[in-house]
Amino acid sequence: MVEFLQFTLSGISFGMIYAAIALSLVLIWRGTRLLNFAQGGMAMFTTFIALEVIYHTGSYWAGFVVALAAGLVLGAVAELTVIRPVLGKPELNAVIITIGLLILLEGLAGIFYSGQYRSFPAAFSITGLRAGSTPLGVSRFDVFVAVAVLATTLLLAVGFRYTSAGLRMRAAAFNATVARLSGIRVVTVGWALAGLLGALAGVLVSPSTFLYPNSMDAIFVFGFTAAVIGGLDSPAGAVIGGLLLGVALSYAGGYLGANVTSLVALGILIVVLMLRPAGIFSGAQVRRV
Amino acid sequence: MNSPAGTHGVQAHGPSSLAVEDLVAGYGEVLALNSVTITADAGTITTVLGANGAGKTTLLRAISGMVRPRSGRVLLDGADRAGRSPEDMARAGIAHVPEGQGVIAELTVEENLRVGMMARPGIARRRADRAAALAEAYERFGPLAERRRRLAATLSGGERQMLVIARALMARPRVLLLDEPSLGLAPRVMTQVMDMVVRLSRESGITIMLVEQNARAALAIADRGVVLNLGRVVAAADARALAADVALRHHYLGF
Repeated sequence: MVEFLQFTLSGISFGMIYAAIALSLVLIWRGTRLLNFAQGGMAMFTTFIALEVIYHTGSYWAGFVVALAAGLVLGAVAELTVIRPVLGKPELNAVIITIGLLILLEGLAGIFYSGQYRSFPAAFSITGLRAGSTPLGVSRFDVFVAVAVLATTLLLAVGFRYTSAGLRMRAAAFNATVARLSGIRVVTVGWALAGLLGALAGVLVSPSTFLYPNSMDAIFVFGFTAAVIGGLDSPAGAVIGGLLLGVALSYAGGYLGANVTSLVALGILIVVLMLRPAGIFSGAQVRRV
Repeated sequence: MNSPAGTHGVQAHGPSSLAVEDLVAGYGEVLALNSVTITADAGTITTVLGANGAGKTTLLRAISGMVRPRSGRVLLDGADRAGRSPEDMARAGIAHVPEGQGVIAELTVEENLRVGMMARPGIARRRADRAAALAEAYERFGPLAERRRRLAATLSGGERQMLVIARALMARPRVLLLDEPSLGLAPRVMTQVMDMVVRLSRESGITIMLVEQNARAALAIADRGVVLNLGRVVAAADARALAADVALRHHYLGF
């Protein structure tokens, strides 16, 4: 019973990170109908920038803020420089460009930092919390992870619902033709926000995974799986998908052994794609006009 | 705010003339428009008629930038804008209401109208201007006011058509392109939509290009008519003259 509680809580903490990556993929998907394979690479790169800032300033929070800002800028620059020219061309072109961007970023990180594993600091204590004498399986930092992603998600949701930029993005996501005929150009905002979410995920996950050029590859796959579970079109689905996947992988790792988690993730991905290719929350979207 | 002077005061530009010259456009090997020349004088209703596949929809799409013309000119008040993106065309004052009642079903009625304002960043930025523009739309299209918080998906066919036209007008366009606004509507509702188009033309003086399957109804409200066949203009004349031309009607318009 205690084990179950521990696995559940730690699953939620990791699930929030998958949710952040999933949400970033959904933002880009909704704006451009494109899967950004460079999302993990961008997150890795901004986390290296954070590490550099923390090293020079001695302040974790300075690194945290710079990483998010760098994510925002990197997302926007990537869209403006390499993605925009290929939009409207065959989709495969853009997909290959994102893979190229991934290889470029991982290559650059390799040149600057070599392939070494680096430890990345956590904002709060990573020793396990206890309720009385019962270990909960999560630390203060895990709580921070959950709160940070949740707060960012809620901010985005409020922004989507109540701001003009949010309305533009929703209009473009639901009906690209009408949006274009209304003079709306939103692609860059989606990429910038996705870059920010990726950067957040990178900073939050790196204390647990270490930081190296490929360190976000597995997280990207989990985030992608979470996005597919939720349906690539649904921001709420992405968050729920992330949580479900996080908990499922935590149980799998806890009860079956850590080496099966990737296998379980891919198994879930295949099952979802076979049974509900539009995601398990696709029922809410009745139709596309 | 509701005085006629106020209504015209926020009109950024007067109506504009729209013309296409030697316009050629198509999809792959197929030429949907073959050297089409049409002039729509400022403030008039020009209806574009013809059978399915005549090139009517492509004509509107080429004007609004959804389809890139292979050659030819798209003149707005004499300035050539052929080949610009739809976003640019929208900002230049061309509002295109595509076929099929293109409301954004997942957004509310009011959100749909606000989307229509996006082509005019000036107005979208100031809260008071936005509110005034919305109030004006609700006054003109009364049924939308009661449903402003509802999702557009819940509207009837006629209300949807009303909403897409209202949305297009939010940009205060100089030219309005309407693609088959009567499609799929009950005859009574279709009459209401046609009335709405006439009223729009009289009240705001927008230049309207109306593509219609229902040639009889379209010619009844239009100033000029143009008949397309297989991507070419086969007739262009005063609407009454076209409606009176029995041979042409039988041959191309089916009534």
